[in-house]
Amino acid sequence: MALRLIKHLSTGTAPYFYLAVLLLTLAFFLSAATDDSSRLNELFLIIFGIGLTSLLLLAVILIRALFRLYRDFKKKAPGSRLTLRLVSLFVLLIVGSTTIVYGFSVHFLHRGINSWFDVEVEEALQDSLELSRAAFGIRMRTLLRQTRMMGGVLAELPDSKLNNNLRDLTRLSGALELSIWTMDGRLIASGVETAQIFLPETPDEAILRQLQHEDDYIGLDPADDDDLELRAAVRMPASGRFDEDRLLHVLFPVNEHLSDLGKSVQDAYTDYKEISYLRQPLIMVFTLSLSLIVFLTMLASIWFAIWISRRMVQPLQDLAEGTQAVASGNYNTQLTASGHDEIGFLVRSFNQMTQRLTQARNATQRSHRLLEQQTSYLTTVLGSLSSGVITVDKDFYLRTANLASNEILDVNLQQRLESPLNRLGKISDTMRSFCLMIEDCSRKGKAWQQELELQQQSGHQTLMCHGTPLPGEAGWVIVFDDITTLLQAQRHAAWGEVARRLAHEIKNPLTPIQLSAERLQRKYAPLVEGEQAESLQKLTGTIIQQVESMKEMVNEFSEYARSPALQLEQTDIGELIREVIALYQSNPNHQFTLLNSPENISLRLDANRIRQVLHNLLKNAIEASEEAGKDVDIVISYHSLQRGRQTWLEITLNDQGPGFPQDMIDKLFEPYATTKLKGTGLGLAIVKKIIEEHGGDVFAENPREEGASIIIRLPLEDRLS
Amino acid sequence: MAFTTPVWSASLKKLPAFFLMLLLPLTASAAEFQIRQAQIAQIANGYVLNARIDYPLTPRVLEALENGVPITFFQDLELIHSTPLLGRFWSWDSTLWSSKIRYELRFHDLSGQYLLTIPADDEYENYPTLESALDSIGELEMLPLPRELMGQPDQLTLRLRSGLDLHALPTPMRPGALISSKWRLTSEWFEASWPSD
Repeated sequence: MALRLIKHLSTGTAPYFYLAVLLLTLAFFLSAATDDSSRLNELFLIIFGIGLTSLLLLAVILIRALFRLYRDFKKKAPGSRLTLRLVSLFVLLIVGSTTIVYGFSVHFLHRGINSWFDVEVEEALQDSLELSRAAFGIRMRTLLRQTRMMGGVLAELPDSKLNNNLRDLTRLSGALELSIWTMDGRLIASGVETAQIFLPETPDEAILRQLQHEDDYIGLDPADDDDLELRAAVRMPASGRFDEDRLLHVLFPVNEHLSDLGKSVQDAYTDYKEISYLRQPLIMVFTLSLSLIVFLTMLASIWFAIWISRRMVQPLQDLAEGTQAVASGNYNTQLTASGHDEIGFLVRSFNQMTQRLTQARNATQRSHRLLEQQTSYLTTVLGSLSSGVITVDKDFYLRTANLASNEILDVNLQQRLESPLNRLGKISDTMRSFCLMIEDCSRKGKAWQQELELQQQSGHQTLMCHGTPLPGEAGWVIVFDDITTLLQAQRHAAWGEVARRLAHEIKNPLTPIQLSAERLQRKYAPLVEGEQAESLQKLTGTIIQQVESMKEMVNEFSEYARSPALQLEQTDIGELIREVIALYQSNPNHQFTLLNSPENISLRLDANRIRQVLHNLLKNAIEASEEAGKDVDIVISYHSLQRGRQTWLEITLNDQGPGFPQDMIDKLFEPYATTKLKGTGLGLAIVKKIIEEHGGDVFAENPREEGASIIIRLPLEDRLS
Repeated sequence: MAFTTPVWSASLKKLPAFFLMLLLPLTASAAEFQIRQAQIAQIANGYVLNARIDYPLTPRVLEALENGVPITFFQDLELIHSTPLLGRFWSWDSTLWSSKIRYELRFHDLSGQYLLTIPADDEYENYPTLESALDSIGELEMLPLPRELMGQPDQLTLRLRSGLDLHALPTPMRPGALISSKWRLTSEWFEASWPSD
C-alpha cells in the first residue's frame, strides 16, 4: 500500500501536481506571514527558509535536468535537438512573461507602499504634536507657578501640620496628590486625596537629579488607562524649620477632553512614524517574498517545461528509433501508443505498418521456403533419374544439369553451369555433336525428339533426346537416355532367338541328312565302280563333312542361345586365370604372362562359364596372332577398380597381334562379327553374354602400342583381402 | 517608466546585500548586554535575587525606539539542579524552575518620556530619560525565588541572562533584526552567587 503510494507520488504527472500545490500553499503562507495580524506572522522566517530551501532544491533539480539535456544534445541522442528547441522556447516564454510580471509587481509594490506616506501629512502630524505640546505647555506653566506658590506656603509650616495642610491643598488645587520629599527620596508628608492611593508616587531619580542641579520640573506623564497627567516637582524654599532640602511633588489631572485629544495625536503620530520607519524593511520583505515566489514559479515552470518537452518528444523519439529499426530490418518493433492525439495516431499507424511488414515478410519467407523445398524436391527427383536432364536458356546457356547427364555424357556439367553450349562443345567431339544437335533442333521452336550416335572411348553410344520448350520461351529442357545398352540387348535377344530357332530347325534335319549320306556311301559304294565310286565317295564325303560342319555351327548357336542358371561360388580369380593359362603352356612358342594383383581378389562367379570366357579370349588372341604371323605373347592382368560408388574387378588381356579393325571395334561382340578366316563369329558374343550374365561388362581397345586389348569388368561385392 | 527606476534600483541594490548578509559569518558584537552582578540573598526563610544588568543599546535599536517601535527586553531565569554522576566531570542537569520577565519600552512623543510596561503585571512606569528607564530595567531588587525548590543550595544553580525579544518586533523588521549583529545583544548566561554562610 505504502509502496504503491510512493510510486504513485513519484511517477507521471503526480510530482508536478504536488509541486504546484506546494508552491501555492507556500505562496499563501508567505503572503499570510507578511501580514502583522496573522498568527503565521511568527513563522515568517521559517516559511521563508522553507521557500528558500525549496528554491535551492529546485535549482539543483533544474541544473541536473538541464545538464542531462545538454549531455543528450552533445551525444546527439535522438530527439534531443527537438527537446532542446522546445525547452528553449518554453524558457524564453516563461522568463519573458515572468520578468514582465515581476517588474510591474515590484514597481506597484513600491508605489503602493510609498503612496501611504506624504510629506504634508507628516508635517501636519508634527504640527499637531507641537500644538498639543503648546496647549499643554500653557497649563503646565500655570501649574508650575501654582506649585511653586504651594511650595512657598508649605515651607513655612511645621512638619506636624504638613499632612493636614497637604490634604487641604490637594482639595483646593484639584491635584491628584501632593507629597513632600527630601532630596534623597525620603517621604516627609503626603496628602493623598483618593481612597485608592495610600502611598504617593515616588518622584523619579531623574527628577531628583534635575532639581538638585537645575530648575523645577514640570512634565506630562502618560498614566494608567493611557490617560495623561501632569507632574510638577519644585524645590521648597529653605527655611529654618528643616535642615535638609525638600521638594514638593504634585500630580495634576489633565482635562479629559484634552487628554483624549493629546492621546489621539500621540497615537497617530507614533503609528505614522513607526510605519514610516518600517517602510524600507516592509518593501524589502514584500520584495523578497515576491521574488521568492516568482523564482520558485519560474524554476518550477522551467522544470515542468523540460518534463513536458521530453514527454512530447518521447513518442517522436520512439518513432525515430522504431523507423531506424525497421530500416535495419527489424520489423517486430512495436511502440507503446500513448494518448489520443495526432502523435498517438502516428504511433498506432506505425505499429500497424510494422505488423503488416512482419506479415508480408513472413509470407515471403514461407513462399521462399516452399520454393526451396520444391527446388530441392525437383533436384532430388532429377538427381535420382537415370535419364539425363539439362536445361538451357533461350541464348543456349546451360542452366541446370542432373547427375545422370554427367554420367551419360562423361562430362561434369554441373561444374559448367552458366556456360554457353558452344563453349561446352569444345570439350570433346561427343559434346560438340550433342550441343550442335540441341542448337539445331531447338531453333525449330517446337518440341523435338532425336536419336544421336556418339563415338565414346568405350565405343558407340546411342542417345535418345527429347527437347521441350520451357514456358514463356525461357529456354529448353532436354531429356536424354543412353539407349546403347537397350539396343544391344534388343539385338542380343534377336540373335538369341535366331540361334535358338536355327539350332532347333536346322539341327533336326541334319542327322537324317548325315545318316542318309553315310548310308548312301556304305550301301551304294559297292554298287558303283571306277570313277563313279570315287565320285560318290567324294560327294557323300562332302555332304557328311558339310553336315558335320553345320552341326558344329548349330551347336555353337545352341550354346549361344542356351542360358543355364549360373552356379555362383566364391572363387579366387588369380587362381582361376592361372589354371586356364596352364592348359596353354604346352606349346613352347606361346608365351603367357600373368600380372598378379597386389591383393588376392575373390568373388562369387560361375567358374566354368568364366573359364569358357577365358578360353574363348585366349583362343581368339592366339588365332589372331598366328594369322598375322606374329608371336603369341599374351599378357593378362587383373586388379580392383573404383568407378563411382561401385568397385569392379578389371581383367585385361593384351596380345601382340594386329589389333582390331577400327570399324569393327564396337561390333566385335555381336554374333557374326569376326575378322577371322574361320569361325562362327560367336566366340566373343558368348563372352559378352556370360559377362553380362555376371552383371559385368566387356569391351575391346586398341592400345597405342601394337596389339589388342580385351577388358572385362565384373562387379566386386565382397572383397576378401 | 523612468520615474520608477530609482525605486527599483534602490530595492534591487539591497537585494544582493540581503542575501550576502545571510551568508556572512555572524560576528559577535562587543555591545551586548552584560550582567554585572547577581546575588542570592536569604531573607527570613526565603531567597531573593538581586542583580544588576547593563543595557548598552546600539544606534540601530535607539533609532527604532525613537521612531516609535516598541522594544521588548527579556530576562531569563533558570534554576538548575545538578546531580553529579562522574564526580566533577559529568553531572545530570535538570531545570527545576524557569521564568521569563518581559519589559516593553517605548517612546512617548507628546510627553517626551519613555514608557516601560511589564506586560505580565500590566504595570507601567514613565521615565523622563532613556538612561533612567534602562537603569530601572537593569536593576533587579528583591526578586523572590520559589522557596519550595531551594532545599539543597549546594546542588542548585541559578543562572540568568537578558536580551532583546526580536520576535516581538514588527514583522518587516524581524528578518533583518534576526540576522543582524546590531540587534543580537543577548547576554551570556550568568550564574548568581549564593549567600556565603
